[in-house]
Amino acid sequence: MSDLSLLVQMGLGALLALSVYLPLRCGQLSLATPGFYAIGGYVAALLSTRWPALAAAGAGGLYPLPALLLEMVLAVGLAVGLALLIGRPVLKLRGIYLAIATIALVEILRVVNLNAGWSGGAVGIFAIPQPFDGPGGYLVCTALLLALCCWFCARLEQTRLGRAMAAIREDELATRCMGVPTAQVALSAFVLSAAIAALTGVVAAHFLNTWNARQGGFDASITTLAFVVFGGSRTWLGPVLGGLVLTALPELLRPVGDLRLIVFGLVILVGPILAPQGLITPERLAALARAFPARAAGGNGVRR
Amino acid sequence: MTAPPLLELEGLSRSFGGLVAVNQVSLQVQEGTITGLIGPNGAGKTTLFNLISGLTPPHAGRILWQGAAIGGLPPERVNRLGIARTFQNLRLFGPLSCLDNVLVGLHSADRSPLLAGLLNRPAFRRQQDQLRQRAHELLELLELDRLADQPADSLAYGHRRRLEIARALATGPRLLLLDEPAAGMNPAEKAALADLIERLRQRFNLTVLVIEHHVPLMMRLCDRLAVLNFGQRIAEGTPAEVRSDPLVIEAYLGSQA
Repeated sequence: MSDLSLLVQMGLGALLALSVYLPLRCGQLSLATPGFYAIGGYVAALLSTRWPALAAAGAGGLYPLPALLLEMVLAVGLAVGLALLIGRPVLKLRGIYLAIATIALVEILRVVNLNAGWSGGAVGIFAIPQPFDGPGGYLVCTALLLALCCWFCARLEQTRLGRAMAAIREDELATRCMGVPTAQVALSAFVLSAAIAALTGVVAAHFLNTWNARQGGFDASITTLAFVVFGGSRTWLGPVLGGLVLTALPELLRPVGDLRLIVFGLVILVGPILAPQGLITPERLAALARAFPARAAGGNGVRR
Repeated sequence: MTAPPLLELEGLSRSFGGLVAVNQVSLQVQEGTITGLIGPNGAGKTTLFNLISGLTPPHAGRILWQGAAIGGLPPERVNRLGIARTFQNLRLFGPLSCLDNVLVGLHSADRSPLLAGLLNRPAFRRQQDQLRQRAHELLELLELDRLADQPADSLAYGHRRRLEIARALATGPRLLLLDEPAAGMNPAEKAALADLIERLRQRFNLTVLVIEHHVPLMMRLCDRLAVLNFGQRIAEGTPAEVRSDPLVIEAYLGSQA
């Protein structure tokens, strides 16, 4: 695999990590991200391969970018719709029960995709048109999406929704007693999480050139959760770092051969033991800001 | 006929399994008063607070807020009606700064749309500045302002109790429920707290319902006292009336069998 392709995959990993992070930020252990990722992928794969009119407008044999944007809009719409539909009942569950329910959702989607006629079954969908003529274009596209999602998560922390999410994570009942409609806040986080996962799926389907029911299964639930646990779930920087590093690690470890899976497993194991809150916590960021005061001057404006 | 009391409980009951925690309790809280709720451990005082604040639905009886029934409403709705509370076992948002704890209390007062916040519009920044200003005022009132940027769980015990009050006040209540606000404080701190509650009542036109074990403090602070024992209200009246009530003396000291 080329270096640029690895960078694209790292970016996609970071995006999925942000999708897992948003519900976790408000204390909801939702593992539904791969399900919405799969939905995004199928929307992209089906539209671009089964709807020739969309691809026809492209110049130089490339799939047109407006069509890619249309796929993103439709995929986000579908994912948000489903998230709104199932969010209310599912988010009544807490902790491990919510995790089980969301794993069930991912499994249901996987089995449907495996058996439905329109999804290409177990073989999947091949020859998904390429909007870019190389990994460079995908890298720009993924980097833009990642920057947008990072900006979104960073700004969110400054709004009342972000503060309410942080409060719910600490003590949901106390937050309710402060007049915060916690069910709505948790649903917002779930819906935003679904939207980011669906966006990622659209890019991934084109990038991988093929899509099938193995994309976004239970394995992906655990991997993406590991991104967030490793990086830290209390600030957006943590999952981004976790997603980038843990996606790159198996590839970078190729020289050690079969040992790489063991090393990878050890990293995932040792990380949380040494840093139970993840590598990046708000406290460590604050300590860094104190160590380099000049560069933090334009910071979050909390200090007077 | 005068206006209905701010809060009225009518035959309120709640049991957990076989234990009747609150049994047919009736109580009136008049606007502007400080009402004390005393009673031995396990008398049902905190359960009564949980019923009023919507954390626990009642099994029987009615809760009337300015004459309208509010029993069974979820806690966020109860809070927005104007009832705020603190917790006996301190339920602050630990890693959040004191300022952010109070800002969560100002959630309903923050009217800025999400998009304006994401784009950091001037109108959003102005409103956030105003909210921060209000949060700082509340912290100052509770003598916590110099700790505004400290995480709540780094605070000393007495400071945490006061931060709970600041956070509850941020929601703009008309009725403040204080669950053992003086627990763990020394006599000097208790006296200061009583003065503070009196000051807050005048400043915010508050009505206060307070649970506290320290009877001398309650005698001084409260306009009315209600006494619970084994889930039942056994006395209600002015502090002087309650002090001489034989049922109260029996509950606290035991009967001379």
